[in-house]
Amino acid sequence: MRAAVAGVVLVLAVTLQVSALPHIAIAGVTCDLALIVVVGFGLARGPEFGALTGFAGGLLLDLVPPADHTAGRWALALALAGYLAGLLRREGATPVGPGQVGLSVVLCTSLAHLAFAGTGALLRDPSADAGEVVTRLGVAIGYDVLAAMVVVPLVMWGIGRFGTAQDRRRLTGGASL
Amino acid sequence: MVLRELGAPPTKGVVRSTGVPRELRRRRTVLALVILASFTLITLDARRSPSSPIDPLRNAAASVFGPLESGATSAVEPVNGLRDRFAEMDRLVAENQRLTEENAALNGQLRSAEYARQRAAELDRLLKVAGLGGYTVAPARVIGIGAAQTFTRTVTIDAGTADGVRADMTVLNGDGLVGRVVRATEGTATVLLLTDAGSTVGGRLERTMSLGFLSGRGQVGSGAVLDFALVDVRAQPKPGDRLVTWGSRGSAPYVAGVPIGEVISVGAFQGTFGSTAVVRPYVDASRLDTVGVVVGPPARDPRDAVLPPRQGR
Repeated sequence: MRAAVAGVVLVLAVTLQVSALPHIAIAGVTCDLALIVVVGFGLARGPEFGALTGFAGGLLLDLVPPADHTAGRWALALALAGYLAGLLRREGATPVGPGQVGLSVVLCTSLAHLAFAGTGALLRDPSADAGEVVTRLGVAIGYDVLAAMVVVPLVMWGIGRFGTAQDRRRLTGGASL
Repeated sequence: MVLRELGAPPTKGVVRSTGVPRELRRRRTVLALVILASFTLITLDARRSPSSPIDPLRNAAASVFGPLESGATSAVEPVNGLRDRFAEMDRLVAENQRLTEENAALNGQLRSAEYARQRAAELDRLLKVAGLGGYTVAPARVIGIGAAQTFTRTVTIDAGTADGVRADMTVLNGDGLVGRVVRATEGTATVLLLTDAGSTVGGRLERTMSLGFLSGRGQVGSGAVLDFALVDVRAQPKPGDRLVTWGSRGSAPYVAGVPIGEVISVGAFQGTFGSTAVVRPYVDASRLDTVGVVVGPPARDPRDAVLPPRQGR
């Protein structure tokens, strides 16, 4: 049930990210909605759920047109980001506040973009040079943090509703996941 | 990670504390599996050959997400129309100050400027270009746009193999060359834009007919430019010179005679391999909407017959 809800949310996020959001891109950089959703999943449900949903969401980004890069690159990047988000949640077991959301998104966006650029360098992709990676990462971090302030609480609330009673206790009880 | 586990405050109950190492092991297994799966995919797809085992997956994804992207684009259409109207308004305000005489007429135009009307006008110009050059064109709309963070400049269009679109076909709009089709599924196609760093087009200078190659820089936004390297050592490009495609053998991937852009500056270095120049493309890749795919090339090369009249630019 929870996996199905996560799947629907990811499909929605990827659709918006490739068709509607590019119209409000900043310097060509689109808001990484799928990444933000995955961070929300990681924060809500821990590293395993974050890594698995990250892989699924990244795979969609790799396959859905107009993607034209080697498949698996966003899958790896988002899986790592989701896992990191889950670990961050474990450290501060208190309910997630705006500060933690912001910090998680900054770290996860950096990790995902650097992983994507890293696999590009491994595959000798000529189009990514270091300076460009850094500027676009900067823009993306700013944009993603803004969007995450709205999206992450929504995602965490949504996925919390579809958890079992035990999960809810673990989420609200402050015990580490 | 182990250190953190040890340093964590003791959790309630014996079951949880003995459960932690197993949970940790499971978590690491999941991470390892996911990373392994990603690298497997990358390895399978790394050669980017047309027979990549990932391609069936791409086709499946396109057939599911094509209608979704199309629907989402239609849903945000009023918002984009609004943005276009604001842009139009700004332009008119600037003109207002200079030309008060034309003000009334332009205001009238503004009131009737609807998104649909703009698209109809775009389609009209597209058909005009197609008619001038003798191309057979399948019209299509842009329904998905690649993000700058993936470092490829690509868009999705809502025409596919069902409309006769195949890989390596030329894509143009009313202004000129847009790019080429790299992949087509039944209902959608992926277009590599001119400005992508991996895009190279053969261009011909309108004035001297000399040939060269245009390559993108991967830039985004309306200021994106192309690099033009001339093949002919003696050819001297000048700012303002206009370029058309010289066409590939068998008209794939580029048909001949499509307007590309204008030279805006000439390189300082007169290298051994001919001059270089910077070219501004006629097509603004950041504002693409209606495009056409050349499904039937002209019987003969139209040369520069489809270039816009000089005073218009």
